Amino acid sequence: MIEYRGLYKSFGPLHVLRGVDLLVPEGETLALLGPSGSGKSVLLKCAIALLEPDQGDVIVDGVSIASATRDELRRVRRNLGYVFQNAALFDSLTVAENLMLAQCDETNQKSVRSCREEAIELLAKVNLEPGVLEKLPAELSGGMKKRVGVARAIASRPRYLLWDEPTTGLDPVNADNIDQLIFDLGRSLGVTSIVVTHDLDTAFDVGDRIALLYEGMIRVNQTPAEILKNEDPVVRRFVRRSQIEPALA
Amino acid sequence: MKPLVRVVDAFHWIGRATLMVGQIIKVIPRPGLYMNAALQQAYIMGIASLPLVLFMAFLGGAVTSQQTGAQFTGGLPLWVVGSVLAASVLTELGPILTGIVMMARVGAAIAAELASMRVTEQIDALYAMGRDPVPFLVTPRVVAGLLVFPPLIVLADGMGLAAGWFVGLLAVDGLTSADIVYGMRYYFRPWALIFSVIKGGIFGLAITFIACFVGLEGKGGAEGVGRATTTAVVLTTLVLMTLDVLLVPLLKAF
Repeated sequence: MIEYRGLYKSFGPLHVLRGVDLLVPEGETLALLGPSGSGKSVLLKCAIALLEPDQGDVIVDGVSIASATRDELRRVRRNLGYVFQNAALFDSLTVAENLMLAQCDETNQKSVRSCREEAIELLAKVNLEPGVLEKLPAELSGGMKKRVGVARAIASRPRYLLWDEPTTGLDPVNADNIDQLIFDLGRSLGVTSIVVTHDLDTAFDVGDRIALLYEGMIRVNQTPAEILKNEDPVVRRFVRRSQIEPALA
Repeated sequence: MKPLVRVVDAFHWIGRATLMVGQIIKVIPRPGLYMNAALQQAYIMGIASLPLVLFMAFLGGAVTSQQTGAQFTGGLPLWVVGSVLAASVLTELGPILTGIVMMARVGAAIAAELASMRVTEQIDALYAMGRDPVPFLVTPRVVAGLLVFPPLIVLADGMGLAAGWFVGLLAVDGLTSADIVYGMRYYFRPWALIFSVIKGGIFGLAITFIACFVGLEGKGGAEGVGRATTTAVVLTTLVLMTLDVLLVPLLKAF
């Protein structure tokens, strides 16, 4: 379970989060929508203490992030995968080394061969050939980097996944593939996910619930069916624009 | 208000740097976590920097013997050139010139690399995996600095002395090898060489630690990477020169 309790976060005079309360029950996938710059990524980063909130707390797997000890935080993070918006691959390491770093830690040193076999399976899940294993991130296209980032996030078989715009910049086939992966991880492995996205198709495909972050607060948090029936003008405008924009593109 | 904010920021900075020192010390007894990476870093730092370090040491030694010869000829016996050369190269020029070369080559590169990792969220990705950048990125570089600087300085000392000897014979009228050898032996104490090596180790720690710390503090895109690199170079210059002054009593102590 991931629970945000009265979260506030400002950057100088800019008040990004103004009291966010949000609950993602165990095994559910929440799609988080919101205008650009509304603080969706900030919300994700607060969940693993990459950013420190000004006020409020996030409870992940029963651990209060605000008061977690270093060891507790490390344990939470090891149960959690994070897909970064720009992949954030280690550019001095090959794809194989990037994946191995996520597969193993100091207490779990697997053999190189088993790591390599697992890495090939992970790449297959994101529709990449084993040939990319020895490439450096600089040799990959943006979409390939993104997919390696996804493979790295799921490499440690986390119980929680935070996806920061996982399908942005991907072609429709690969975007569908990632949507399917998020869906499968939720349904078959019971992974609890928050998916930040601008892509309404992704939100409706993978989300058990869809939340809209608007003006620093959660405007709505409903099932996809309820969202479609919601009469709130902000929700209507956002859903309609999101539907129209891809059609015009 | 602004100066007060800066003072508070400076204390925060010092606090974070102190915490990082503590984390490094905590990791040191577990060489399995960092030693492979440290040896790789040491190889990169040492081999790649060696030609430039030796070239700078050559110039330092060559200038010293010529200047000494030009200023003392007619006033003092010529063997003084050998003494001044040994004293200058071992206690000052070898360590400080090597430090400056390494600061420019290694310190700037580390600061830029880590700041770039910070602004492209690679450091966040490490944290997100439950890994700490200190054993993974900082400790290997600091340990590599400690391993590589002393031998580089010994080599720089050797090159500086040889260059000073060679150029002195060519440029100072009447100077002989016997003068140089006599002068060097007259001055030389083993402690001077040990001091040179200790200075090297301290400079190595300072350069790599400052570069790592400042790099990890980087923020704000490409401009932030540039700012972190500049800060690392400026700060390291100040710290090296300050350490150089503070270490003088250690030379006198033995």
